[in-house]
Amino acid sequence: MGGNVEEALVASLINLNHPAHYVSWHFFQMSVPNMVVIVLMFVVFGAALFLRAPGARKRGGPK
Amino acid sequence: MSSWTAKLREAGVRALPPEKLLPDSQPAYMTSAIYLFGALTIGALVTIIASGSILALKGPTWWHVQSIGHFFNSIHLWSVELFFFFMVVHLWGKFWMAAWRGGRARVWMTGAVTFLVAVPCAFTGYISQQNFDSQWIATQGKDGMNSLGVGAFFNVLNFGQMYSYHILLLPIAVVALVSLHILLVRNHGIVPPLPFSDSVPGAESKP
Repeated sequence: MGGNVEEALVASLINLNHPAHYVSWHFFQMSVPNMVVIVLMFVVFGAALFLRAPGARKRGGPK
Repeated sequence: MSSWTAKLREAGVRALPPEKLLPDSQPAYMTSAIYLFGALTIGALVTIIASGSILALKGPTWWHVQSIGHFFNSIHLWSVELFFFFMVVHLWGKFWMAAWRGGRARVWMTGAVTFLVAVPCAFTGYISQQNFDSQWIATQGKDGMNSLGVGAFFNVLNFGQMYSYHILLLPIAVVALVSLHILLVRNHGIVPPLPFSDSVPGAESKP
């Protein structure tokens, strides 16, 4: 029973059980999942430029 | 006259003395999170090889019939997704640092070639799935391969050939290139940030 509730909760967040949606603009065509991954890469790259590596302070890095 | 083994050992120790091969400290600029992505890529690669080895031992149809097989197949897929994610962020970071500076051209080139070899390594996995998706991808891919003139040597409709590429030949190439890349990084050291004075017009340039 507990497993079913958890399964339903997780499954209800994003329903992936269908073909991907596509973004089309003139010659440009890309699936939404691919666009999400590319946007995430930009976000992570931008964040990494400003964030300090974990444990850097302990290792005596610049404050 | 010393033997070739002694010469090889001496050349190895000269290029990579123990304190350089396994250093216990790094420059201060390495505290930026952008320097983590090479190590994260290696972590993902280790997970890929480990999960792929289990899948190889059980055979290509195992993941269709057992939930534990499906679990390891998912681990394999998502570690590949993370591998490429981390590798691309690593590549962007190194590109904007101009990481080929200071005699590091071979470090940059081995990284770039690793990326190029990893792409077909992943693609041959998509056509090793043993399902309708892999059949669809293979029939579409064969036209691409034929248009390049390599269809006779790299036949994406030949499951045995693609499976061999995916679980043996290309992984060996990726692991060998990554190992060489890491040894070159150890040999040359982490690339320092670009000098600030050069990037600001009008700022004083220090020699």
